[in-house]
Amino acid sequence: MLRHHLRRRTLALAAATAAGGLGLTACGPSITSDKDEGGGTDALRAPDTDAPSGEITIWDRSGDLFEVFEGVIDDFNAVYPDIKVNHVAVDIDAKLQNTLITGADVPDGVFLDDAKISGYTDYLWNLGDVLQPYLGDMAQQKIDVNTVDGAIYGVPYDLNPGLLFYNATALEAAGVDASAIETYDDLLEAARRYKEAVPEAGPIHLEQSAFLGQLQLEMYASQLGTSIADADGELRLDSPEYRRILEFLDTVRAEGLGTRAEYLTPTDIAEMDNGNQVFYPWAIWFSFAPQQMLDQTSGDWRAMELPAWDAGGARSGAMGGSSFVLPKDGANADLAWLFYEFLMFDEVGYTAVWGPNPTYPTGLNTSIPAYEPAADPTAPLFEPVEALGGQDLWSVATEAGAQIPGGAPIPAWWDGAVDYLGNDVQRMLDGDMTPEEVIASATEQIQTNLVDRQ
Amino acid sequence: MTAAAAARFAGTDRKKRRTSAAGRRRRLAPYVFVLPFVTIFLAFSVYPLFYTARLSFTNWRGTGAAEWVGWDNYAYLLTNPAFWGSLGNSAVLWLLIVPAQMVLGVLVAVLLNSAKLKLRGLYRVAFIVPFVTPLVAVAQIWVVLFDQRHGAVNAVLGLLGLPDIGWLTTGAWAKPTLALLFLWKTTGFIVIILLSGLQSINGSIYEAADIDGASKIRQLWSITVPLLRRTIMFAVVLQTLAVFQMFAEPFVVTQGGPYNSTTTAGYYLYNHITRADLGTGAANSFLLVILVMVLSLGFVRMLRAKD
Amino acid sequence: MTETAAPERRTRPRIGSHAFLMLLLVAFLAPVAWAVVSAFKPAGDIVSSPLAFDPGTFTLDNYRAMLQDVPIGQGFFNTGVVLVGKGTITMCFAPLAAYAFAKYRFAGRNLIFGAVLVTLMLPTIVLIIPLLLEMKALGWVNTYQALILPGAVDAFAIFWMRQVISAVPDELMDAARVDGCGEFGIFWRVVVPVIRPGLAGLGVLTIMNIYNDFVWPVVVASSERMATLQVVLSTLAQNITGNRIGADYATVTGELLAASSVALIPLLVLFIVLQRHFINGILAGSVKG
Repeated sequence: MLRHHLRRRTLALAAATAAGGLGLTACGPSITSDKDEGGGTDALRAPDTDAPSGEITIWDRSGDLFEVFEGVIDDFNAVYPDIKVNHVAVDIDAKLQNTLITGADVPDGVFLDDAKISGYTDYLWNLGDVLQPYLGDMAQQKIDVNTVDGAIYGVPYDLNPGLLFYNATALEAAGVDASAIETYDDLLEAARRYKEAVPEAGPIHLEQSAFLGQLQLEMYASQLGTSIADADGELRLDSPEYRRILEFLDTVRAEGLGTRAEYLTPTDIAEMDNGNQVFYPWAIWFSFAPQQMLDQTSGDWRAMELPAWDAGGARSGAMGGSSFVLPKDGANADLAWLFYEFLMFDEVGYTAVWGPNPTYPTGLNTSIPAYEPAADPTAPLFEPVEALGGQDLWSVATEAGAQIPGGAPIPAWWDGAVDYLGNDVQRMLDGDMTPEEVIASATEQIQTNLVDRQ
Repeated sequence: MTAAAAARFAGTDRKKRRTSAAGRRRRLAPYVFVLPFVTIFLAFSVYPLFYTARLSFTNWRGTGAAEWVGWDNYAYLLTNPAFWGSLGNSAVLWLLIVPAQMVLGVLVAVLLNSAKLKLRGLYRVAFIVPFVTPLVAVAQIWVVLFDQRHGAVNAVLGLLGLPDIGWLTTGAWAKPTLALLFLWKTTGFIVIILLSGLQSINGSIYEAADIDGASKIRQLWSITVPLLRRTIMFAVVLQTLAVFQMFAEPFVVTQGGPYNSTTTAGYYLYNHITRADLGTGAANSFLLVILVMVLSLGFVRMLRAKD
Repeated sequence: MTETAAPERRTRPRIGSHAFLMLLLVAFLAPVAWAVVSAFKPAGDIVSSPLAFDPGTFTLDNYRAMLQDVPIGQGFFNTGVVLVGKGTITMCFAPLAAYAFAKYRFAGRNLIFGAVLVTLMLPTIVLIIPLLLEMKALGWVNTYQALILPGAVDAFAIFWMRQVISAVPDELMDAARVDGCGEFGIFWRVVVPVIRPGLAGLGVLTIMNIYNDFVWPVVVASSERMATLQVVLSTLAQNITGNRIGADYATVTGELLAASSVALIPLLVLFIVLQRHFINGILAGSVKG
């Protein structure tokens, strides 16, 4: 009898489980016939107490930056002793979306690529009110990429000015004067001259990863004050600016002036170390290549502002960059704001990040602050870079950073565009498409597959 | 035990009652046996599948309300060359992997099955090493080995006087490179499966063939392969499942590129999810489910027919 | 399938066969050897001169950095918990259900088994979003049950064990029934002893699958304390395989290779110890249908 009983109980349990399963159907999204209007009053307010207390969970990418931010926590606690910072290294790309969708264990603050922010705005606090006092002193480019429909969703972290890295020793040996380069036409000319001296050279880096290639394309565009789409999400590829950039890249390819390689893969590194690849127009974070990865030519490289598209034009554009976002489901987002405010806008905070620290004894020299008072060309936070022959990278980068035009917002579907624009640029560099074809094809594909499906 | 005791207390025709109790037990038993499995299966496979079906008719970006869009997502996918391309990529990978793996697997298994082969244990372990190596490490290894100008593989080709190949950088070669990775990682496992099949073949068949003077290659083709047919079929089914589910390999090595040439069916689906286009992702899932059903039925047929 | 002495080929392989096997051996081992050896090179050298090795520069720095930066111990622990939990459930319930599918006729049998076959080929990611929402509804995000229960009795295990159990002769069970054995008793005392090699095969396969699984764990275990070994490794690899933007590219590469070298040891040892059982077990599952 007992056994029968047990069986019945198990059956009943199973039935209950099954019923529970069906009941779950009621969870998940409710379905409406209209699109959700969303938005509303989502502006974050700073805590109104003098002694804020509580615990905050902060997500950062694992690795060097994690260590750097970790080092600032003690300084923060000296000011806010009652806020406990639970600092975790997380694979953010893989986890943030799922965490936000499930709403479980949502962190209070997250380090996020600028290109990803507009995709998450539904889940994030609007920081317009708390950031108000600082916006006047902020790089316009960073405000633009963090702004969606008039609300600002990230505390800008770093500015990543594009620079022209060049192998000074190799160029000098070939009799090419890099300091004379002021426009992209000059750069082409210098590359031609270098190739005459070193026939096997492909002087200018041509990026072979579709993703980074598109990121670099946006750097050139940012220099011209444009980006793939405007603030209303309208595509801007079909424009003189993009035509000009693509034609420049196509010229480099057609004249054999480029080295086609993926950023810092073995081919890329070897072609720099053997003196074939001597011009690298890239964001400031290229600087760690001579510091850590180049073997033969470390010390030979220097950085200068990017060439201008027209004489007298802006000498830099932004490439990459990150900000801090505060999810609405986080328990103590207001306290997390205090942490980021300290980190980014307090001299102690930003000095601890970019200045000499245990992780970077000479300072963090792969980006500069987005907050202008911190990015003062005359008050360097990081020291001259040994692997750049002792060059004062700080002043080069901050002066370049100050020239980056605004007006280059990043649409929510930016990553998705790599399948179209990024790939088409690569096809052009393979010699299989013309600049005109890239513009026509990418515009059409992005419109149907991304813009129209938002 | 307890049921039998109850029957005894009742004091009626014991034997009859016992048989009917046993019969009832026998009828009920399979339900009890499958219950734990079915519970888990319903809760974590069937239910999510139905949920996916419902989601596939909506436009939902993971937050707020979902908008009912009818068959839009399906229409979008079915008319999208990228969707068909992802299925095509999986099919090409299957062609590159499964036949080659079976030939190689049979050859190696037959050699390893020889009792007099020296270092047999070493070989067996060596071939399984890639199978137990973490995939994320394999990704690093592949990038270094298959680099276009400075990778080890092209260096060897260079010694043989062959031109460099853009393994990971050209649409034409990325699929073979990914297929090589998959072959390298899983062939050891297939060898083990085939070895196990070989052990059931009676050695005296070969002795007879030796006496008849049949060459080794002839013996392999006309004795071993036919006798191994079921095991080979099993391995083919196993690898077909693995290839059509392939996601992690392109995810860590090529991110679907270059030019989406390694965007497998699974990876394409994942793209919708990362873009928070969950409705389209669900529709894509469901189309895969249907494809899978057709393929599964085909295989079940094949397994039965060749019995 | 009972264990029989393996009948083996008697002829001596010729030089050609040895050369062929040796070539394959090198092809199979060299890449892993590269990873293991590189883990002992200075991190900068791994990326700048990946194919060279100068014994004079031998260093344990990557291991030291890895142990300091990477929660690999926690990873091993979590993987262990999942192995025990999920492994036990699979090993208990898959054979039991497969036994019912193989040896009983009951209403719904074909329907359920048909469903099993359909899910056999589903890529994991198909179910990820609905499963995640389900975990949310159950309040299971970042818990061991979320890592253990979904897929705990996977379709493949059922399919496989059904093959194995089908091969057990019905007469054995009928005899036990005549002797008064209960239905579970028949399974436990008659079927399980006979299918032991098949169970061993399933066991090894299950362990390998659980140990190597990373798609679902990466998604559901967002908190570090729940990260399994593969999640720890993929978190580490994110800095490399993603955009190669992090300034510590070389350091992380070194740590990743060191961590991977450590991570491959348990399965390798398991295989070396259990290979004989494993081979017999696969035989049990693949021959009869």
